[in-house]
Amino acid sequence: MIDTENLTRKFGDLMAVDNVSLHVNEGEVFGFLGPNGAGKTTTIRMLCCLIGKTSGQARIGDFSVENEQDCLAIRKIVGLLPENVGLYESLSAYRNLDFYGKLYEVPDQARQENIERLLKLLGIWERREDSVATFSKGTKQKIAIARALIHDPLVLFLDEPTANLDPEAAKTVRDFILELKKEKRTIFLNTHNLDEAERLCDRIGILKTKLVVVDSPKNLERSLYSRKTIVHLESVSDQVLAAVKGLDTVKSVKIGDNKLILDIDNPERDNPEVVRAIVEAGGSVQYVTELRSTLEDVYLKLIKEASPQ
Amino acid sequence: MRFWKSWIVTQKDLSVIRKNKYVFYSLIALPAILGIVLPATFVFALNAELTTLTRSQFLAAATQLINISATYLITISAVLPSIIASYSFVGEKIEKSLEPLLATPTTDGELLLGKSLAAFIPCLGVTYLAAAISAAILDVWSYIRLGTFLVPNLFWILAVAVITPLACVLSVEANVIVSSRVNDIRAAQQLGGLVVLPIIGLLILVVVGAELSVLLAILVTISLVVADVTLFYLSKETFQREEILTKWK
Repeated sequence: MIDTENLTRKFGDLMAVDNVSLHVNEGEVFGFLGPNGAGKTTTIRMLCCLIGKTSGQARIGDFSVENEQDCLAIRKIVGLLPENVGLYESLSAYRNLDFYGKLYEVPDQARQENIERLLKLLGIWERREDSVATFSKGTKQKIAIARALIHDPLVLFLDEPTANLDPEAAKTVRDFILELKKEKRTIFLNTHNLDEAERLCDRIGILKTKLVVVDSPKNLERSLYSRKTIVHLESVSDQVLAAVKGLDTVKSVKIGDNKLILDIDNPERDNPEVVRAIVEAGGSVQYVTELRSTLEDVYLKLIKEASPQ
Repeated sequence: MRFWKSWIVTQKDLSVIRKNKYVFYSLIALPAILGIVLPATFVFALNAELTTLTRSQFLAAATQLINISATYLITISAVLPSIIASYSFVGEKIEKSLEPLLATPTTDGELLLGKSLAAFIPCLGVTYLAAAISAAILDVWSYIRLGTFLVPNLFWILAVAVITPLACVLSVEANVIVSSRVNDIRAAQQLGGLVVLPIIGLLILVVVGAELSVLLAILVTISLVVADVTLFYLSKETFQREEILTKWK
């Protein structure tokens, strides 16, 4: 649905986006992670035909961002939630959505139905005639999301949708994105929030002007360390240690405070055998856990590696 | 260019203007002063001279007064757009609504036309309201004093029906251009106000005694048409979505 090939954007001498090539599948939620100034918003703006590219290619569906006529077509099939909600404060929620629905060429009947459906879904229908200025930040964000969906777009670009929101409002917005995910919409999500990216995204791209990596959150987490099993014991005896070291499936053993950190290729298959061996050696197992790296660990490591020395 | 798209933008902008009481009062103040109070003042002044002038002298003086009032109407139509049109894109920048607006399937020409109409319609409407009231004041007075209606004469018709809208278009276009290129409402209004200078110049000519003839009205009309067309193309050329999005904070 979204394809870029060596997409590049420079502002004067400043390289904002450097040779980014990626493919986002239809119905996929793709997360774009990166520090401030990494080029995330610039990439979204290029893909929405808001600004031009310096070089490379980018397509949304069958349309190229290069062609002016295609750009009008792209703007019809994409919905954009920019970093700033940008609603007309003196107008009502309904009037804001109606204005954008008209500009997106949604027929009268469908436009009214869409506005009603979206505002009801977001719990704002009863206050539809109130001016936007009277709403909280979280509610404004919800209206802005409704605006991005007013024309039922095939692709949705969300730029920091939960930034500056309190935890409750952020959760409401995240839950709504999860609902959209169930509808199999293609969603391109710019975020700083690693937890959010992990929970919402099928795949994540980490950007630091260049695209550093693209993978699923799970694979990224596993990429930092191999999988390890931690066995918490009442105490670690020599017999227990010898029993564990004697197993072929255990590649290495480290000892912590009454715990063994085991390097095992296939924990689901081999952990029961390990536990049995420990128990037979007189060990008293309290609990078994998995040592995992977090997405934050991976992100920080990759961003550090991508930074110029 | 799809006019109906521009009209959607115009309707939205008019709704926003209606909700802004400061803009509304500003729109009303200038026509009230220049379009109503000034002709009324002139009428009082002429009344004082009534006994010292012959009928033909008085008629000539009254005609000159009516023509001067018409030039004030032109000034009103040129000044008012600096209130609304200068806010057109700066306002979107301040509300940070420009990015979602530019993300819609709307062309530059459609946006510019929509924004321009939203400034043109209320400005011209208010000017014509002032013209109607001013004409009524002058006609009531001339009928009572001279037994005839002096408004409209040919100069007045040309000034109000042709030059006023053309001057308004010129001012709207210039202010929209300025508004799309600056980030601050005060800068937009000050720069936009510069466009009124040539029209103020016309007024000074009037005050120092240039004859307000039909020929002058036609020359001004031709100049304004040329300036309007030039500015329209200039506004399309200078409207850069990318620059607007990347240069404002």
